Amino acid sequence: MFRNTRWKTVFAAAIATSMASTAFAAGTLRYATVGEPPSLDQHVVTSDLSTTIAHHMFEGLYTFDASNSPVPLLAESDRLEDDGRTIVITLRKDVTFHNGADMTSADVVASLKRWGEFGSRGSLLFSNVDSIEATGDHEITLRLSKPFGPWKNLLAFINGGPAIYPASVMEGAGKEPIAPENYIGTGPYRFGEWQPNRHVELVRFDDYESPEGEPNGYGGARKAEFDALRFIPVPDVGTRVSGLQAGDYDYAETIPGDLFDALDASPDVTTILNGGPIFGLVFLNSKEGPLKENFALRRAIQTAINKTPALQVAIGPEKLWRANGSFMPEGNVWYTESGAENFSKGDAAAAKELAKEAGYNGEPIKFMVSTNYPFHYDTAIVYTKQLAQAGFNIDLQVYDWATLIKKRGEPDQWDLFFTHHGFVPDPILISVMNPNYPGWWSTPEMTALSEKFTASADPAERQKLWGELQALIYQQVPTMKTGDVYTYNIASPTLKGLGEATLIWPHFWNVSK
Amino acid sequence: MLGYALRRLLTLVPTLLAASLLVFLFVHLIPGDPAAVLLGDSATPEEIASLTRELGLDQPLYTQYLLWLGNVLQGDFGTSIFFRVPVTSVIADGAETSILLALMTMVWIVILGVPIGVVAASYRGTWVDQVTSGGAMLFASVPTFWLGLYLILIFSVTLGWLPSSGFPSVTDDGGLANLRYLLLPSFTLAAPNAALIIRLVRASMLDVQREDHVRTARAKGLAPWKVSVKHVFRNALIAVAAAFGFTFAALVSEAVVTETVFSLPGIGRLVVQSILRRDYPVIQGVILVIVVLYMVINLLVDLAYARLDPRVSLK
Amino acid sequence: MTAILTMGRIFRGRWLATAGLCWLILIALAAIFAPLVAPYDPLEIDPLVRLSPPSLEHLFGTDHYGRDSFSRSLYGARMAIVIGIGSVVVALVAGGLAGMVSAYFSRLGHVIMRVVDVLMAFPALLLALVLMTLLERSVVNTVIVIGIVYATTTARILFGMTLKLKGEVFVDAATCSGAGHASILFRHILPNLVSPLLVQASFIFAFAQLQAAALDFLGLGLPPEVPSWGNMLSESRIYVTRASWLLLFPGALIILSVFSMNLVGDALRDSIDPRFRNDIKGV
Repeated sequence: MFRNTRWKTVFAAAIATSMASTAFAAGTLRYATVGEPPSLDQHVVTSDLSTTIAHHMFEGLYTFDASNSPVPLLAESDRLEDDGRTIVITLRKDVTFHNGADMTSADVVASLKRWGEFGSRGSLLFSNVDSIEATGDHEITLRLSKPFGPWKNLLAFINGGPAIYPASVMEGAGKEPIAPENYIGTGPYRFGEWQPNRHVELVRFDDYESPEGEPNGYGGARKAEFDALRFIPVPDVGTRVSGLQAGDYDYAETIPGDLFDALDASPDVTTILNGGPIFGLVFLNSKEGPLKENFALRRAIQTAINKTPALQVAIGPEKLWRANGSFMPEGNVWYTESGAENFSKGDAAAAKELAKEAGYNGEPIKFMVSTNYPFHYDTAIVYTKQLAQAGFNIDLQVYDWATLIKKRGEPDQWDLFFTHHGFVPDPILISVMNPNYPGWWSTPEMTALSEKFTASADPAERQKLWGELQALIYQQVPTMKTGDVYTYNIASPTLKGLGEATLIWPHFWNVSK
Repeated sequence: MLGYALRRLLTLVPTLLAASLLVFLFVHLIPGDPAAVLLGDSATPEEIASLTRELGLDQPLYTQYLLWLGNVLQGDFGTSIFFRVPVTSVIADGAETSILLALMTMVWIVILGVPIGVVAASYRGTWVDQVTSGGAMLFASVPTFWLGLYLILIFSVTLGWLPSSGFPSVTDDGGLANLRYLLLPSFTLAAPNAALIIRLVRASMLDVQREDHVRTARAKGLAPWKVSVKHVFRNALIAVAAAFGFTFAALVSEAVVTETVFSLPGIGRLVVQSILRRDYPVIQGVILVIVVLYMVINLLVDLAYARLDPRVSLK
Repeated sequence: MTAILTMGRIFRGRWLATAGLCWLILIALAAIFAPLVAPYDPLEIDPLVRLSPPSLEHLFGTDHYGRDSFSRSLYGARMAIVIGIGSVVVALVAGGLAGMVSAYFSRLGHVIMRVVDVLMAFPALLLALVLMTLLERSVVNTVIVIGIVYATTTARILFGMTLKLKGEVFVDAATCSGAGHASILFRHILPNLVSPLLVQASFIFAFAQLQAAALDFLGLGLPPEVPSWGNMLSESRIYVTRASWLLLFPGALIILSVFSMNLVGDALRDSIDPRFRNDIKGV
């Protein structure tokens, strides 16, 4: 027989292992994921799951501390020159890639260039970058066409962000995600194996040089305590919960709100809230159809909706949601109530009146939603009922996610679609601010304001301008926020070092069991 | 016999070609786009279009089909768009789980179905017969995912006897002991299918019991179960062998739901997930492999049936 | 009158099958009178009473929208019957025609049965899965897809049975008396196949329920807003401990209905022409 020796070992192991024992070493973390990540290449992929895995492996120049402020990670220090038009970043000198090579400015420049050209969030920064070059073995210089406030936040946001890869990997890399054999980073864990359909495994990187300082958010010292992190796709949510309860997983993500109270009370399960809330967004088509440039009609739709019942139905326990109209959560530096009085009026009569004034005559309004995210679908059902009560003729179209994201790129296919947005540390990263994002919001008012917003480097002024932008969103209604949702994950109580809440993506350096 | 087998194999060729075209068309007509899935929510339509071009998915369908078919004939099923590894290796990995699951299900069916069928036939018309046949039919009426959910709740979460989900390879740590991960899923799959086997065993035993030598044995005063075991059992197996073949092939596809509930890395769940991701090469590859498997098993069953039962003649 | 007598003969001494028949009649009544019997609108959302356990007000409790599960179950009975009958019609008409015609005209039949072979090579659930992703989620599409899946087996069965009948004396007699092909197929052969078709129909009806529930579970069946037992189960699977009534009631309804249909089918099978008995596998 083929693979004879391997099977012999298998039989020997089978005899040695009793039926009841767990076969896993205590040194492996078993993480039940919602599915399989599309790729771990952080430059081009913005999946949260991808980042949850990959940020153990890839690092950027900066990262965020617990208060969501950028702090150096692979960078050592930086200085601005020329009124903020030149950025000089000094790199740490002790950093080693997983392939044994030292990290130099050549790697950083190559990575930033590819991210700037092909990366999903890279163009936000690089549309303002004139040149980027290595100005020393461990120093790079970016020259901007005009001052650009959010540069450090963009460099620190690893999701769809500028992970640093070796220059050799960047050679010839384009829009297509890089292959697993090129997963070479600088993080505390390195790539182990990806068995499609089975798991992604990272193993400890023994030569890791940690940044200095007390751990704070994603900043400070990082220590890999586990021998390996194993990310196992468990798409069925019920199976994730029962699997954790049965001890088959140590950590399971994205658990339904309605199970929170029972799981929170259970001594066998630890619940961990996500610090940064996600929020649903209903985009309105600004390019075609009845809603195009008809801001009065959009406001009528906005007025018809009461967000609270949808949150109750879709999420459940009040601890897990806030009917918050600010795009940034309470307590965050970007929090503002500007315009938010229109967030959740739920006034069917007023909406009817507004719609009539806007010239609405019962034309069908196509509302696309996906069932792959129950919270999208539940919310959409409630909104559809409310809109119908206000006299809107809503044509609810239910698709699977892959179809929806294809269709939303075609402006004649829809008037409203539902998606959700992860927490981002800078409003510039919110999708509605991107005029190419389906919905295509780029009115002259929006363009003028957002140009001012990105050009300013003064934090106080940027906050004030963001308030004006948010007010404009409530006035022109390119999108409707559904409220903040605090998702949560569950873990085995044997895990030590998890903390009360995760920042955005759970991390397992400084965690053990 | 050999000639018959060869002729049957030859008729498989056009069927397979037609099946491959159907698979390809079905898969590519599904709305949606793998590039959009890969890039995620914040990707703009322009970015998606540019990746679609890089992946070669903007070419005309017939070009893509011929290209794919040509490669398949050389044993190359292409590369998974999502995993960026050869489709053959993705399928091979899933096949381990699926085949072991099907085998264990067959074991359950045999150890549940055959004895119960024998007992039911031996006590034909009595309450024993009624209860066993009724019970089997009841199990066949349960939605598999519903049964699976409750089995997990009872045996994994409450009692803690068996793992709830997943399946580490038997070549992994733990070796053959890892098969315990398949105990609940295989039972879930076996429960509805055992009913068919019970009925078949019972019916074929009753047929044989009417034959002369069995009547004689009974007239000599042998207990019903002894008659069953001695004379009837072997004959009855002929019919059952055929049924097993069909069941085995069906199991691989029915496993789609079970593998989802128990989160098993088999090819059933792979198909579902690949459809959600629009990973065309994987969907095409898996379905084609299952179709071939299905045809070959059916052929083998026919041949085995002919071999076992002299009354069947091959045309 | 004769129908009742026949029924009486078939179900005599089969108390379990009789109970099954009664249950199916009950379900049919529930389906017909759902709007009159249902205490609530099955789509009415009320977040204030969401996930309430069964009570006098809500016999089967409420789901996570606060919708009344009892009312939804009644309307679910409608869906069960629509799916059952719809799939049976599609399967018997498409499959029956293909099978009979193929057996009767052997040249054409050869071609048709090759097509059936190709479709049969796709395992049932996989075929349904791919077709449902291709089409939009709707009641009609679900019925068609499930119907097609069973049309292939029906075609095979009818092919065999028609072949057996084709050689019988009465067919020759009809041919001699100058009857046309259509007349022979539908006036002479078909009446002999009615009772086996009925048996086949009962099993398709039962299996269609399970297939539809499986598709609903995978998120590829009926539109999610349609109150069907499968959708109710699928939406509530996470509540297995939190709100067990959401799984127990619709689950029990599916199981009892499929079980009853299988019992009835079994009883019917034993009453038909023994020549055809082994052609129809059923459960």
